[in-house]
Amino acid sequence: MKRALKFFLAGLTVGLFLLTARGQESSAVREKLSRAVLADGAAQRQLVAELGDTGSGLVHDVLVAWTRDNVFLYDSGNAKIPVLLEDQTDADGKARAISIADGKFLLDAQKHELRFAPTELASADTDAALRAVIQQTLDTLALADPDPDARQNAVLKLGNSKKLKNLPVLQARLAKETDVPVQRSIKEAIAMLQLDDPDPKIQSAAAQQLAALKSIGSLDLVRALADSKTAPSEVVKAAKNSAETIGEHISFVNIFGTIFRGLSGGSILLVVALGLAITFGLMGIINMAHGEMIAVGAYTSYVVQNLFGTGFAFSINLPFHFFGHPLGFSLSLPGLNATGWFYETYFLFVLPLSFIMAALAGLVLERTVIRFLYRRPLESLLATWGVSLVMQQLFRMVFGANNVQVSSPRWLLGHFTVDDVSLGYNRVFVIAFAVLIIIGTWLLLTKTPLGLLIRSVMQNRDMASCLGVRTARVNMMTFAFGSGLAGLAGAFLSQIGNVGPSMGQLYIVDSFMTVVVGGVGSIVGTVCAAAGIGTSDQVLQQLTGSPVSGKIVVLVCIILFLQWKPGGLFSIRSRSLD
Amino acid sequence: MPRKASNLELWVVLAVALAVIIVLPCLNAFTPDGSWLHVSNFTITIYGKYLCYAMLAISVDLLWGYTGLLSLGQALFFSLGGYMMGMYLMRMIGDLGQYHQPIPDFLVFLGWSTLPAFWKPFACFPFAMLMAVLLPGTLAGVFGYLAFRSRIRGVYFSILTQALTYAACLLFFRNSLLLGGNTGFTDFKFILGHDLREPATQRALFVSSAIALLLVYLLCKWLTQTKFGRIQRAIRDSENRVMFSGYSTANFKLFIFILAAIIASLAGVLYVPQVGIINPSEMATDKSLETVVWVAVGGRGTLVGPIIGAFAVNAMKSWATRAYPDLWLIFLGTMFVLVTIFMPKGIIGLPAQLRALLKKYRRGKPNGQPAPVVSGEEILPAKSK
Repeated sequence: MKRALKFFLAGLTVGLFLLTARGQESSAVREKLSRAVLADGAAQRQLVAELGDTGSGLVHDVLVAWTRDNVFLYDSGNAKIPVLLEDQTDADGKARAISIADGKFLLDAQKHELRFAPTELASADTDAALRAVIQQTLDTLALADPDPDARQNAVLKLGNSKKLKNLPVLQARLAKETDVPVQRSIKEAIAMLQLDDPDPKIQSAAAQQLAALKSIGSLDLVRALADSKTAPSEVVKAAKNSAETIGEHISFVNIFGTIFRGLSGGSILLVVALGLAITFGLMGIINMAHGEMIAVGAYTSYVVQNLFGTGFAFSINLPFHFFGHPLGFSLSLPGLNATGWFYETYFLFVLPLSFIMAALAGLVLERTVIRFLYRRPLESLLATWGVSLVMQQLFRMVFGANNVQVSSPRWLLGHFTVDDVSLGYNRVFVIAFAVLIIIGTWLLLTKTPLGLLIRSVMQNRDMASCLGVRTARVNMMTFAFGSGLAGLAGAFLSQIGNVGPSMGQLYIVDSFMTVVVGGVGSIVGTVCAAAGIGTSDQVLQQLTGSPVSGKIVVLVCIILFLQWKPGGLFSIRSRSLD
Repeated sequence: MPRKASNLELWVVLAVALAVIIVLPCLNAFTPDGSWLHVSNFTITIYGKYLCYAMLAISVDLLWGYTGLLSLGQALFFSLGGYMMGMYLMRMIGDLGQYHQPIPDFLVFLGWSTLPAFWKPFACFPFAMLMAVLLPGTLAGVFGYLAFRSRIRGVYFSILTQALTYAACLLFFRNSLLLGGNTGFTDFKFILGHDLREPATQRALFVSSAIALLLVYLLCKWLTQTKFGRIQRAIRDSENRVMFSGYSTANFKLFIFILAAIIASLAGVLYVPQVGIINPSEMATDKSLETVVWVAVGGRGTLVGPIIGAFAVNAMKSWATRAYPDLWLIFLGTMFVLVTIFMPKGIIGLPAQLRALLKKYRRGKPNGQPAPVVSGEEILPAKSK
């Protein structure tokens, strides 16, 4: 695409290029170009073909202009001078002319710049044979592009051209190519072209070569050959074998792609559910406002991003009056107007800040609402649902009812490819981060004094209290920690999904299911359940063909799974009855 | 509850019911427009809606207040009933839809030219009503059997019912289910041959809702006073002891779950013709929770409580959405938090709570704690399993 755009732009702005970027092209090349335009017949074709070795952008631009009849011949009286007309035209539709031979403007006797309209000049004509040679030269030039990606695109284009005449160009390039992926592409393209070779032996060899290269792009061609009625039987057989091999490779790539997406989906679920595993699993509090803690984290990343950019402001007007003054609240924070790499680092600040903000929100929630409800878990569900309504409405008032835009830092965009399986950086990052969070949580719960206190209070609150543990404080810390994890999850989701006032609602059912399936009170269980649910979600989406039916099947499976293991994957064994 | 108070409650309910069933419709029909006694058509539809909500609230209370099962799936059964009624009403539109085809508009829109087979019998009103009882009943039966058999209880039951509702909601949002997708059913025209926009039809629907609510109330009143009702409350307070006494608690719970599902479904059946629309957002997770909140506000473990709660919360919601459209969610949310923390017995329990406060105050004891709650969860350790 980029390449196609370049072709297009080059044709349009060719004059300007000559003036600026191509100014320092060697005079030998220019001179040769000029001669080529002026020459005739076989000699001309010979000259044009030789231009392919120059690797010069100027040659490319001029040749493209030539095929579009934009190279003109100026008759100075004693000789013809090949020229290009500048893009910029004056009021009469005339433009300055640039000589191809030296890259300078044509001047008349008084050293004034000559101006022409395209109709005033004869264009250098081309015939079919010449255009074919020009095209070949252009292909050769594209194959010699210094950028490997551009070379690869040119190779693919030739490989899909189905024209055997492109074969020599590719073979010539293969001998010179040093970049390994491009080499592979060239081999693939050659084999794809050779599928149409008149010699059945070469055809069969090409099919086998494609199978050896596991070329996904050639599957359609190979299949067409395998189904062809006219091809000799041994070719059809070879093509069938290759199609099978390539098909296997494709399903392999699909399976691993699905597993990868499943794992990254599971990681998101895990980061979301881990906070819940602590507040619900360990503390027994059903926090319906957990989803809003996620939103707190996501909005924090939005605010931080804006602070690095142009600043953040909001205002709320309440429909009440206080002694005639309308009540309202507004806040305006100036931005850093950061650019470049400094702006890209904003995400590094987002991670701790989103944790802290959500943890603070959790702390306030625990102190004001939840501490009254430790002995009434079902009612904690209702009260926290009320809190979630309030928080959603606050988000709407502060950030607006629509989704807000959080842009990913550049280092999270893009992907790399392993054996045709494409791995997005952001998904890899999510998986890696989920692993870090699990390790961090595990270390905190098992290796620190706070973790010891948390576990003791969760196991038996009264006994811990008797032994001098300040249970109220531990509860507070635990709840804040769980909420903070939700905030971190929100920071992630801001990079992957939408950030809106009710974003938390999307994840709340899933994350409760994850905790229940994993076994309430078991962090390991939550990890396994998240990976399992995430992967099966992706697999079922593939199988059923729609995300919604996949999700429904997963939910039904979970309900059935709990028949088999009501306590979840890792239920904590206990002799107590309830 | 003492026998005397229970009788008093019954008489009050009967008196109010009489007023609602006879006086309100008469005031609507026979007083001139603009007279101070006149009850507008709008009021009749609004109250008719609240009556259906009250039925739904009773079904939640039967589960939560009396049996200790907090089901977050009642909105699903409510909507299922609504959908069955909606299918009947859609068939009654006939070819008066926008496309003037003998099949519902959305089916035409989806490219159907004939009616899918499962839509055919819904032109018959008794069949639609039968399905409104059977479908939610069967679903509740299957789900309840599976859930109670593996002894899923407490918050796990809540979360599972929520997941079930969520899955159903996703399913009903799909067009391929052929139940209208996310727009659902609307533009109803006739019910049993009467025009739905006629005030007389609306009055009739209002009266039927009121009678249905009264019958449900009486049924539940009777049920909770039988031995069955006592076992039900015993299960709420300590399921294990009931089990050790030789009762199969799973069967009791299953029965009550199915009964509650059918009551909710009937509420949905009466609700849809009065509001004129049914779509999958009716079974969103929020709706179930909202219903639970009506019960909590009114007072759980009583039968009048849910009715009062449904009317009070919805009246406040109607007022607040008009007066403070931006803030009403904050009002509502704050109210839920305050009610759960400070009024665990709801509006019904408020007089007793105030009396207790007054007594404490007279004795001169310092007081800052909310009134104690005596319920199953209180006795058991907070974290189960």
